[in-house]
Amino acid sequence: MSENKIDPNKWVDKYSDYLFNFTIVRVNDREVAHDLISETFLAGLKSMKNFKGEATERTWLISILKRKIIDHYRKNNSKKGKAEIKIQYNDDSNEGDWLEENAPDRFDKTAEDLIENEELGTAILECMEQLTEKQAKIFKMKTIDGFDTEAICNEFNITPSNLWVIIHRARTTLAQCLEKNWF
Amino acid sequence: MNYKKTLLIDCSEAAYCCDKKQYNEASGPEKLKMLLHLVFCKRCRKYSSNNNRLTELIEQSDIKTCTEDEKKVWQEGIKKELTDI
Repeated sequence: MSENKIDPNKWVDKYSDYLFNFTIVRVNDREVAHDLISETFLAGLKSMKNFKGEATERTWLISILKRKIIDHYRKNNSKKGKAEIKIQYNDDSNEGDWLEENAPDRFDKTAEDLIENEELGTAILECMEQLTEKQAKIFKMKTIDGFDTEAICNEFNITPSNLWVIIHRARTTLAQCLEKNWF
Repeated sequence: MNYKKTLLIDCSEAAYCCDKKQYNEASGPEKLKMLLHLVFCKRCRKYSSNNNRLTELIEQSDIKTCTEDEKKVWQEGIKKELTDI
């Protein structure tokens, strides 16, 4: 069995979008997500020697990140109780209502939708690892960040037809990768 | 004879139009030529439907990517830590 090796210099390029997406759906705050990922990378560096190569680098980083996210919520929880939430229960018509009913659901998405979307995002990002670095970068800029063709061409110093060839290859790879589970 | 040359396109050009269409960058004539090609090309029909589905999935997934600046901060953090060790 080939062992998984670790290479911290590649972490940011390879996994940051994956980790970021994983975090942002859980903490819903860009800045917090950014800090959590920083901490994850640093914790990863510190415990690098404990990495046995049984899991992939990404799985291993995610396991660290999960702990960081849990810690984040614990810290937040310990601050609870300092702020009091007052709910009017003396209104007869509302009596016996659960707290939950006071928190409106998002009307446009159900819980199942949100879970499925997260899985989908994960699947797409995992499939993107099959692309070359350049393909992945350009595809992301074009498709997810919505940059203009011209802007990308300038940045990478390529012609529009180069760009479309790269996009075409990326899309074909991704479609093949996702086909089994999502098409 | 001439309209044949302009209207009938091969698979690679159809794919090119189809890709552009995913980003709303295909022109009217391009879209028309592609549709015409799809009428008689099964493989491209398949490619086109997969391609549309991919666009749909990506939209639905609502993936958030991090900015280059954020990445730089992480990269520098890692670099610094590595030299310290």
